Amino acid sequence: MKIKKYTTILRAGMLDMFQWRMSLFITFLGNIVYLVVIYNLWQAIYASSPYDTVNGMTFTDTMLYLVLAMTIFNMTETYVVGSMGRHIQDGSMILNLIKPMEYRTITFFEILGADIISFCMIFVPTFIIVSIITGFAIPLGVNLLLFLPALLFARVISYYIDFFVGTICLYTESTWGINMAKEVLVLLMSGAVIPLAFFPDWLRQVAEFLPFQAIYNIPLQIMLGQVTTFETLPMFGVQLFWIGVMYVISGVFWKQSIKTITINGG
Amino acid sequence: MKKRSIIWYLRIYIKIITQDIKVKLNYRADFVISNFAQILHHISGFIVFWLIFQNFPSVDGWDYYEMLFFYGFSLIAFTPTQCLLENNWSLPWQVRSGDFIKYCFRPINTFFYYISEVFDTKGFGQLVAGIVVLAFAWLRLEIAFSFITLALLILMLSAAGIFMAAMLNLAASTIFWTKGFGLMEFVVRFRDYSRYPITIFSGFLRYLFTFAIPMAFISYYPSLMFLRPDQVPILTWLSPLIGIAFFALSYFAWMKGAKSYSGTGS
Repeated sequence: MKIKKYTTILRAGMLDMFQWRMSLFITFLGNIVYLVVIYNLWQAIYASSPYDTVNGMTFTDTMLYLVLAMTIFNMTETYVVGSMGRHIQDGSMILNLIKPMEYRTITFFEILGADIISFCMIFVPTFIIVSIITGFAIPLGVNLLLFLPALLFARVISYYIDFFVGTICLYTESTWGINMAKEVLVLLMSGAVIPLAFFPDWLRQVAEFLPFQAIYNIPLQIMLGQVTTFETLPMFGVQLFWIGVMYVISGVFWKQSIKTITINGG
Repeated sequence: MKKRSIIWYLRIYIKIITQDIKVKLNYRADFVISNFAQILHHISGFIVFWLIFQNFPSVDGWDYYEMLFFYGFSLIAFTPTQCLLENNWSLPWQVRSGDFIKYCFRPINTFFYYISEVFDTKGFGQLVAGIVVLAFAWLRLEIAFSFITLALLILMLSAAGIFMAAMLNLAASTIFWTKGFGLMEFVVRFRDYSRYPITIFSGFLRYLFTFAIPMAFISYYPSLMFLRPDQVPILTWLSPLIGIAFFALSYFAWMKGAKSYSGTGS
């Protein structure tokens, strides 16, 4: 296997992302505003409670969790669904299908390149700021090292989900609506808009059987040091399980779909 | 340019919009899926409030139904912007590709012509969700209902709608100077934050979110007319006037940008 073809695509993805420096900066600025709003909102919410810890979450835990979840969301939101929808509508998908490498693989490495840039330009600065604000409440240790593979696995899962949803766009041209529905479901059931700890038991059990919590909840729990190093092993297992499942499902669905559809302008 | 009467503009508007709606009727599945996704999005917003109040008694003294009132109010207030000003989202692309120049040559108000081209039917789902949430909160809070409150409600919703429209317009106008890159993604996030009462912020931030980025006028101040009828602040009464002034400002900024636009030369 030649690794070079993958790194070339990865580099192209990185360079492409560099074009959008200003928009990355605006996203970062938007994250800071989100931080300010979340900080004030949850401070007000916790002030109304007689307890400092609610369902095992303190104010600092909740704030860190929500801000970092939104940062990961902004980082991984690379519009796979949108660009697949566009390729299908304008017919340029055909050019991707005749390339000597699987479309799903090409897109993945492009996106991974873009992610590396946004990780450095959005995630790292937000992480530093949020650490300072909370007085270094995030432990600086092995949890950060474990967080990186967890984030990478999370990225792979969310990519395969996106690819699956993008394939639905082969049948309907409602890219916006489908992407929106996906985002809502993923953000809510992964605990990115409100931590899973605040869910009632039955809803949390539902969430735990879905792949979405492996995208935000697992990496964040690892990073915030809410689990011991030993406990992270089954979590990685869960992530790998979902990677396998989504890899197969999205692959089969895609192969079936391109056989049956017609593409404009082919 | 010749002065035209408002009736003339209205007739033209209906003609242009009819064409756009005819096009949209070809994509009925898109209409259904997009609106379904919108409603799903707002159900998720509702669930977040429900989860917060499952764990906490209040948010800064505001109870569950009062929070829902703010939420429903902000959803309805955003509907006119969503339906009527949607074409602003295509502006970055139009400016960058040079296509925008065609709007500058028409013997008709540029802003009016540009905006009238698209009517976004996705707004319906939002409107329905907003009305349901607001009505639910209204009934639970047992606010009296009369023709006067109805008239006030329409007035306050219009004022709030104007603020949202002005904010988005002003953000869109930056695109002309930066040549295709704007602050719209940044500003639109305030739509989501406006559902929280401004009282969660203190000091500098409260002034910032009231006067510099006037999100307090999208839901908080106008809602006080109904939530605290005994002590309506002066800003609530003034909000329609400030809203109109702010919209005028955004309109002039937009037009100034459009006038300075020189195309791409091809």
